[in-house]
Amino acid sequence: MSELRLEDVIVEARGQRLIDGVTLSLARGALIALVGPNGAGKTTLLRAALGLVRPRGGHVTIDGEELARLSARERAARLSWLPQHVFVTEAIPALELVAAARYRFREGRRRSLEAARAALERVGAAALGPRIVQELSGGERQRVALAGALAQETPFVLLDEPANHLDPAQQLEVYELIGALWQSGLGVLLVTHDVNLLAQLGDAARVTVVGLAAGRTRFTLSYDDAKLFDELGALFGLELSVVTLGDRRVAVAARSVRS
Amino acid sequence: MTRRGVLLVLASVAVLCGAALVGPSLDGPRGAFIFWSLRVPRVLVGALVGGTLGLTGAVFQAIFVNPLATPSTVGTTAGATLGALAALVLGASAVGGLPVVVAAAFAGALAASAVVSVVAARGSARIHDVLLVGIAVTLAAGALSTGLQYTADMSALFASAQWSLGHLPQVGYRGVLLMAPFVVISTGTLLSLARELAALVAGEELAQAQGVDVRRTRTLALGLGSLGVAACVAWCGPIAFVGLLVPHLVRLLVGATERVLLPLSLVVGAAFLVGCDALARVALPGRDLPVGVVTAALGAPALIVLIARARRT
Repeated sequence: MSELRLEDVIVEARGQRLIDGVTLSLARGALIALVGPNGAGKTTLLRAALGLVRPRGGHVTIDGEELARLSARERAARLSWLPQHVFVTEAIPALELVAAARYRFREGRRRSLEAARAALERVGAAALGPRIVQELSGGERQRVALAGALAQETPFVLLDEPANHLDPAQQLEVYELIGALWQSGLGVLLVTHDVNLLAQLGDAARVTVVGLAAGRTRFTLSYDDAKLFDELGALFGLELSVVTLGDRRVAVAARSVRS
Repeated sequence: MTRRGVLLVLASVAVLCGAALVGPSLDGPRGAFIFWSLRVPRVLVGALVGGTLGLTGAVFQAIFVNPLATPSTVGTTAGATLGALAALVLGASAVGGLPVVVAAAFAGALAASAVVSVVAARGSARIHDVLLVGIAVTLAAGALSTGLQYTADMSALFASAQWSLGHLPQVGYRGVLLMAPFVVISTGTLLSLARELAALVAGEELAQAQGVDVRRTRTLALGLGSLGVAACVAWCGPIAFVGLLVPHLVRLLVGATERVLLPLSLVVGAAFLVGCDALARVALPGRDLPVGVVTAALGAPALIVLIARARRT
């Protein structure tokens, strides 16, 4: 079974400990949502899992192989990444941006373009292919970036706040899309602030929520666990009111209880 | 490639083929000599230099993720100027059959860009740090050059002013042969990096996550790019605007995809410099204008007009 594993990972920057011994294991086909307040270390943990920052201690392994020993191409065959923001400096069509993500394949241009078109289609953005990336809306750009991650054809995708800066309708769409990709067999590690959006993924019992604060794991619970919202309230320093809407529970921040 | 791209290539080829015919009449007994021994090698030098500057400009803009980057950004040109000035002030004439100004400029260019390339090769250095080091090297070499000029006599001062305008020298086929190996290695390497550079368009970290060895890419691009530029500026001095203007011209006319941008910047760069040199030949009756004056005089307004038009549409 394919597995991305972080074991007792410690990350430091300028003498400050950003991740303080986190252990996490993501199997292929599983979904873990990393939640936590700003500065909890969510993005840093994702970057450590990608090999973009070198941990001070601990191990990151994929299928038992040490990440640090793999070449960039070998890593790119296993992990793809959707960063919080994709800034594109050149006025290029979306299709070219997605095709560029096929770098790890030593293949001809025609094959890259075919795969890029297929990836855009998978995220429902086939029509965006010829459009210039910088002229797309936030939601469209996020779809195109996600298509890039899919074009890499990896068993795992790491998504950093995929719905950030999107309007509410776009947020729902992006999460439904991620849910569909997960259900199709990808292993997904997802960073988010907004726990309510996780309901859009479907199959709540199989969504694992990991609470992170000050670089440490505070809890690991299934999304349908009764204790989840109490733990989340403690994690964010909030009093949460939980409302039941149909078959789903929605948390509303009632007031801050941070001391 | 789009129709515009094909037209641009055809226009460039036409300029390259026709440029040697521009100038005073080739009739008479010396016509063949002027054509084959003076103009053709000069067109070849112009094509090598212009192509190198255009392509390197496009690559450096991609590596530095900065539209203002030019082949001089990493200090190559400032290093060459310092080397050339040192040679002019010291008054040496030739080493090993090579004009000492050229040899010294080449050494200066390599020394300056080596500093930047070494910093770039360190994985921990961010690309903005590399850019800052390039600016620091450029400023330091510039200050040393000014200091040298202060100590120089009038004839050395005049020669250095002439050198720093940028010109296509009469170096004959020997100069072409001396320059060509560096240019071929440099441009060949840069063109081979198109896929890496295409991935870098969305930033170094995403490119790395997509499998690009970012450190290797930027070391190769800066190191070997500078080698070609060093060979060019050593012979021709700093020729303004080609490396900045040409990639932008290609982007605005044809598009910004690296696969098209790189080879077109090479071809259009060659044609632009050769065309400017042909103009420089006929602009003033009886004498040549330094080509650097023409590239800047034509390049600056062309860039402004193109950008203004692109913003409007």
